[in-house]
Amino acid sequence: MNNQKLQITIWSVVIGCMIIGGFLGVYIIGKEAGEYNYEIVIAIIVGVVLGFIIYLLFSKWNKKRNGNVPDVDERSVLLMKSYLMGVLYVVLFGSGAVLLILYSMGVHFIETGLLIVCMMGLYMLIGLGAIITKRL
Amino acid sequence: MKVINHIKEIRQKKGITQVKMAEDLQITRQTVNAIEKNKYNPSLELALKLIQYFDVPIEELFYLEKPEGE
Repeated sequence: MNNQKLQITIWSVVIGCMIIGGFLGVYIIGKEAGEYNYEIVIAIIVGVVLGFIIYLLFSKWNKKRNGNVPDVDERSVLLMKSYLMGVLYVVLFGSGAVLLILYSMGVHFIETGLLIVCMMGLYMLIGLGAIITKRL
Repeated sequence: MKVINHIKEIRQKKGITQVKMAEDLQITRQTVNAIEKNKYNPSLELALKLIQYFDVPIEELFYLEKPEGE
Protein backbone atom coordinates (compact mmCIF):
# COMPACT_ATOMS: atom_id res chain seq x y z
CA MET A 1 0.00 0.00 0.00
CA ASN A 2 1.54 3.32 -0.99
CA ASN A 3 1.72 6.32 1.33
CA GLN A 4 -1.23 8.24 -0.14
CA LYS A 5 -3.55 5.23 -0.04
CA LEU A 6 -2.53 4.55 3.57
CA GLN A 7 -3.23 8.18 4.52
CA ILE A 8 -6.66 8.11 2.89
CA THR A 9 -7.47 4.86 4.73
CA ILE A 10 -6.31 6.27 8.08
CA TRP A 11 -8.35 9.46 7.63
CA SER A 12 -11.44 7.53 6.54
CA VAL A 13 -11.20 5.37 9.70
CA VAL A 14 -10.63 8.43 11.95
CA ILE A 15 -13.52 10.43 10.43
CA GLY A 16 -15.76 7.34 10.46
CA CYS A 17 -14.98 6.69 14.13
CA MET A 18 -15.69 10.35 15.01
CA ILE A 19 -19.07 10.30 13.26
CA ILE A 20 -20.01 6.89 14.73
CA GLY A 21 -18.97 8.18 18.18
CA GLY A 22 -21.20 11.22 17.67
CA PHE A 23 -24.14 9.05 16.61
CA LEU A 24 -23.54 6.85 19.66
CA GLY A 25 -23.67 10.00 21.80
CA VAL A 26 -26.99 11.01 20.20
CA TYR A 27 -28.32 7.49 20.85
CA ILE A 28 -27.18 7.43 24.51
CA ILE A 29 -28.53 10.93 25.21
CA GLY A 30 -31.79 10.02 23.44
CA LYS A 31 -32.11 6.81 25.46
CA GLU A 32 -31.51 8.67 28.74
CA ALA A 33 -33.75 11.64 27.92
CA GLY A 34 -36.39 9.58 26.11
CA GLU A 35 -36.24 11.88 23.09
CA TYR A 36 -33.81 11.63 20.16
CA ASN A 37 -32.43 14.96 19.03
CA TYR A 38 -31.55 14.49 15.36
CA GLU A 39 -30.48 18.12 14.92
CA ILE A 40 -27.18 17.28 16.62
CA VAL A 41 -26.38 14.83 13.77
CA ILE A 42 -25.91 17.76 11.36
CA ALA A 43 -23.65 19.51 13.89
CA ILE A 44 -21.59 16.33 14.29
CA ILE A 45 -21.06 15.86 10.54
CA VAL A 46 -20.37 19.56 9.87
CA GLY A 47 -17.98 19.71 12.86
CA VAL A 48 -15.99 16.68 11.72
CA VAL A 49 -15.80 17.83 8.08
CA LEU A 50 -14.87 21.40 9.11
CA GLY A 51 -12.16 20.07 11.44
CA PHE A 52 -10.76 17.94 8.62
CA ILE A 53 -10.76 20.91 6.21
CA ILE A 54 -8.93 23.06 8.81
CA TYR A 55 -6.35 20.27 9.25
CA LEU A 56 -5.91 20.00 5.46
CA LEU A 57 -5.40 23.76 5.10
CA PHE A 58 -2.94 23.79 8.02
CA SER A 59 -0.90 20.89 6.60
CA LYS A 60 -0.86 22.57 3.14
CA TRP A 61 0.41 25.82 4.73
CA ASN A 62 3.00 23.84 6.70
CA LYS A 63 4.18 22.09 3.53
CA LYS A 64 4.47 25.44 1.75
CA ARG A 65 6.54 26.84 4.62
CA ASN A 66 8.84 23.86 5.19
CA GLY A 67 8.96 22.36 1.71
CA ASN A 68 8.81 18.62 1.14
CA VAL A 69 10.29 17.75 4.55
CA PRO A 70 8.78 14.68 6.28
CA ASP A 71 7.00 14.99 9.63
CA VAL A 72 8.71 11.96 11.12
CA ASP A 73 12.18 10.49 10.63
CA GLU A 74 14.49 8.02 12.42
CA ARG A 75 15.42 10.53 15.14
CA SER A 76 11.82 11.46 15.99
CA VAL A 77 10.92 7.74 16.17
CA LEU A 78 13.81 7.19 18.60
CA LEU A 79 12.79 10.23 20.68
CA MET A 80 9.18 9.05 20.73
CA LYS A 81 10.26 5.57 21.85
CA SER A 82 12.20 6.92 24.82
CA TYR A 83 9.41 9.38 25.66
CA LEU A 84 6.76 6.65 25.66
CA MET A 85 8.99 4.42 27.75
CA GLY A 86 9.35 7.23 30.30
CA VAL A 87 5.59 7.85 30.22
CA LEU A 88 4.92 4.14 30.82
CA TYR A 89 6.95 4.13 34.03
CA VAL A 90 5.69 7.52 35.23
CA VAL A 91 2.04 6.53 34.69
CA LEU A 92 2.53 3.02 36.11
CA PHE A 93 4.38 4.00 39.28
CA GLY A 94 2.86 7.48 39.51
CA SER A 95 -0.73 6.23 39.56
CA GLY A 96 0.25 3.53 42.06
CA ALA A 97 1.87 6.14 44.29
CA VAL A 98 -1.16 8.45 44.00
CA LEU A 99 -3.46 5.57 45.00
CA LEU A 100 -1.28 4.73 48.01
CA ILE A 101 -1.12 8.39 49.09
CA LEU A 102 -4.90 8.75 48.73
CA TYR A 103 -5.47 5.54 50.72
CA SER A 104 -3.14 6.69 53.49
CA MET A 105 -4.99 10.03 53.54
CA GLY A 106 -8.21 8.17 54.23
CA VAL A 107 -9.77 8.26 50.74
CA HIS A 108 -11.11 4.72 50.39
CA PHE A 109 -13.62 5.24 47.57
CA ILE A 110 -13.23 6.97 44.19
CA GLU A 111 -16.10 8.00 41.95
CA THR A 112 -15.76 6.54 38.45
CA GLY A 113 -16.71 9.92 36.94
CA LEU A 114 -13.69 11.46 38.65
CA LEU A 115 -11.51 8.64 37.31
CA ILE A 116 -12.73 9.39 33.77
CA VAL A 117 -11.80 13.07 34.22
CA CYS A 118 -8.37 12.09 35.62
CA MET A 119 -7.73 9.71 32.72
CA MET A 120 -8.79 12.39 30.22
CA GLY A 121 -6.31 14.83 31.78
CA LEU A 122 -3.62 12.16 31.65
CA TYR A 123 -4.28 11.37 27.97
CA MET A 124 -4.18 15.07 27.12
CA LEU A 125 -0.88 15.51 28.96
CA ILE A 126 0.64 12.46 27.23
CA GLY A 127 -0.58 13.73 23.83
CA LEU A 128 0.83 17.19 24.47
CA GLY A 129 4.15 15.67 25.53
CA ALA A 130 4.20 13.54 22.36
CA ILE A 131 3.65 16.63 20.18
CA ILE A 132 6.49 18.47 21.95
CA THR A 133 8.77 15.39 21.69
CA LYS A 134 8.07 15.11 17.96
CA ARG A 135 9.11 18.73 17.43
CA LEU A 136 12.37 18.46 19.42
CA MET B 1 34.60 8.04 22.27
CA LYS B 2 32.46 10.67 20.63
CA VAL B 3 31.75 10.71 16.89
CA ILE B 4 32.56 14.05 15.29
CA ASN B 5 31.38 15.10 11.85
CA HIS B 6 32.16 17.82 9.33
CA ILE B 7 28.71 17.92 7.76
CA LYS B 8 28.12 21.61 8.47
CA GLU B 9 31.39 22.71 6.85
CA ILE B 10 30.92 20.45 3.81
CA ARG B 11 27.28 21.52 3.43
CA GLN B 12 28.16 25.20 3.61
CA LYS B 13 31.06 24.71 1.18
CA LYS B 14 28.64 23.17 -1.32
CA GLY B 15 26.12 25.97 -0.73
CA ILE B 16 23.33 23.68 0.42
CA THR B 17 20.79 24.87 3.01
CA GLN B 18 19.58 22.76 5.93
CA VAL B 19 16.05 22.69 4.47
CA LYS B 20 17.31 21.57 1.03
CA MET B 21 19.40 18.84 2.64
CA ALA B 22 16.44 17.71 4.78
CA GLU B 23 14.23 17.58 1.69
CA ASP B 24 16.78 15.63 -0.35
CA LEU B 25 17.50 13.08 2.40
CA GLN B 26 13.87 12.94 3.61
CA ILE B 27 14.73 13.82 7.22
CA THR B 28 13.54 16.69 9.41
CA ARG B 29 15.44 19.98 9.68
CA GLN B 30 15.78 19.36 13.42
CA THR B 31 17.63 16.12 12.68
CA VAL B 32 20.03 17.93 10.33
CA ASN B 33 20.70 20.46 13.09
CA ALA B 34 21.17 17.76 15.75
CA ILE B 35 23.64 15.84 13.54
CA GLU B 36 25.61 18.99 12.71
CA LYS B 37 25.88 19.89 16.37
CA ASN B 38 27.08 16.32 17.16
CA LYS B 39 24.06 15.82 19.42
CA TYR B 40 22.76 12.87 17.42
CA ASN B 41 24.60 10.08 15.64
CA PRO B 42 22.77 9.11 12.45
CA SER B 43 21.95 5.47 11.75
CA LEU B 44 24.26 3.55 9.43
CA GLU B 45 21.67 3.91 6.67
CA LEU B 46 21.51 7.69 7.03
CA ALA B 47 25.30 7.92 7.37
CA LEU B 48 25.72 6.04 4.07
CA LYS B 49 23.10 8.30 2.48
CA LEU B 50 25.06 11.35 3.69
CA ILE B 51 28.30 9.99 2.19
CA GLN B 52 26.50 9.40 -1.11
CA TYR B 53 24.82 12.82 -0.96
CA PHE B 54 28.02 14.79 -0.37
CA ASP B 55 30.15 12.40 -2.45
CA VAL B 56 33.01 12.36 0.05
CA PRO B 57 34.88 9.45 1.73
CA ILE B 58 33.50 8.33 5.09
CA GLU B 59 36.60 9.43 7.04
CA GLU B 60 36.15 12.95 5.75
CA LEU B 61 32.58 13.10 7.04
CA PHE B 62 32.81 11.17 10.33
CA TYR B 63 35.67 10.43 12.67
CA LEU B 64 36.14 9.40 16.29
CA GLU B 65 37.18 12.09 18.74
CA LYS B 66 40.78 11.46 19.74
CA PRO B 67 41.27 10.94 23.48
CA GLU B 68 43.38 13.57 25.25
CA GLY B 69 47.13 12.93 25.23
CA GLU B 70 47.17 11.17 21.86
